[in-house]
Amino acid sequence: MTWIACELHTHTFHSDGRQSLNELALGAKALGFDCIALTDHNTMAGLARKEQIERETGLLIIPGMEWTTFFGHMVIIGVKDYQDWRRVGPGDIHAGLARVHEQGGLAGMAHPFRPGSPMCTGCFWEFEIRDWNEIDYIEVWSTTFAPVKKNNIRAYRLWTDKLNEGFRLAATSGRDWHLQERTDAPLSVTYLRIQEGEAPFTERAIEALSSGRVSVTLGPRLDLEVNVNGEVYQIGDAVKGSDERERLASVKVLADFTSRHEHWHLPEQSFTVSLKSNLGVLSEHAAMPEQLPLHTEISVQGLLWMRAELWGIIQGVRTLIAFTNAIYFD
Amino acid sequence: MKKVIVDARGRVTPASSKSHIIHRFFLASAGGRLGINFWYGPKQLEDLEKARTLVERSIDLYFEEETIAQAKAHFKSYLPLNNLITVSVDSPNGHLGAAHRHDPEQFLHISRHEASPGLVCGDIVAGMWEVTLSLHAIVTDYCEYSLQIWQEEEAAQ
Repeated sequence: MTWIACELHTHTFHSDGRQSLNELALGAKALGFDCIALTDHNTMAGLARKEQIERETGLLIIPGMEWTTFFGHMVIIGVKDYQDWRRVGPGDIHAGLARVHEQGGLAGMAHPFRPGSPMCTGCFWEFEIRDWNEIDYIEVWSTTFAPVKKNNIRAYRLWTDKLNEGFRLAATSGRDWHLQERTDAPLSVTYLRIQEGEAPFTERAIEALSSGRVSVTLGPRLDLEVNVNGEVYQIGDAVKGSDERERLASVKVLADFTSRHEHWHLPEQSFTVSLKSNLGVLSEHAAMPEQLPLHTEISVQGLLWMRAELWGIIQGVRTLIAFTNAIYFD
Repeated sequence: MKKVIVDARGRVTPASSKSHIIHRFFLASAGGRLGINFWYGPKQLEDLEKARTLVERSIDLYFEEETIAQAKAHFKSYLPLNNLITVSVDSPNGHLGAAHRHDPEQFLHISRHEASPGLVCGDIVAGMWEVTLSLHAIVTDYCEYSLQIWQEEEAAQ
């Protein structure tokens, strides 16, 4: 399997973006991305030259759209055809989710806590969710320098709350990228760990996101492995439960500081590597980059999920710099 | 020859926000190109006090308790408040896309060979068509709109 750098929330002039798909693809490539999802507001017309632009730029493009409804914005990716949003009321989101899933696509809550009407109608998620199993992912980091923004901190907390309730859903970033402009603000990357194979790329990307093989960062790519009874589990996996289960697990936290390293800057520092779970903080260690990977042992008793977080200073602010998606415990 | 099929004007209020106005119209003959000229105004809510009231109400609704005071102190960062109406098109054969943009005036067209950004090419078939105006936000007391739809011959390709 291979990690690929993705930007999963983008727009072109086919909605309110100020860029063509070709300009977007070239811009993404120049920033070290391997893949984008095109998520124009309520249209898929911008995908007309997708294959040609993929060939010419070498960037992979996942088809999608942003359901820009009056009651919430939902990014849907991997769908083949336009899905009508116009009849959807605040109690109807599950019908829309079913249509996305029937097409083999995935649905994510876009910037769920961005202020809503009248500043930005639908930007705040107001749909009633009766079954959280149908939500595939939450865009917990939206726009640039995402982890310091209050609405993103709230979205990250929502994701954590849902994991604590036993739901298994992914967390991603999305720049909500509308135009090519130079910025010094740290950019988020959603890494997906894709299976090799002959299947079309979109199918493999959707499978990776659906399986929670996701790591999100402003810089180094964080990874997590858990070894229980000699069996190694990775991000998105579920550790099998059994009566004879070892009470202890070996945990390895890895960070690849070479990934897209020319596109981000972190001052020399000692980072904090934290293991979070439904039981709270399992461990916390200070580590210089050369001290990673970090090995530790934890008890798995009572665990539903675990993720790794990397905290440190970026642009003078101490903040969350990277996080993995969860490893689950049956 | 340009044949005007719809020439409509309307006025909507904040109560119409989060609603759609559907203009369903009949094309008697197939072929050519469909033109749409849509305009609405005013675009912005100029009254600062009204804007402040709306923003503060929104902050009360969407912000967490401990962040409300700070957000209200910076209410101007959410201005200007804008009306937003977007256009989408459906032919008798199916959906032909949307022009989700903030411009208050849009000239759109569709034909078998080309379409405005956001819309997709499609045969101009005879039958019942729809142009939907989606009222995402109406913040001014009144917002006027006009919509002209016509069928015309397509320039030679």
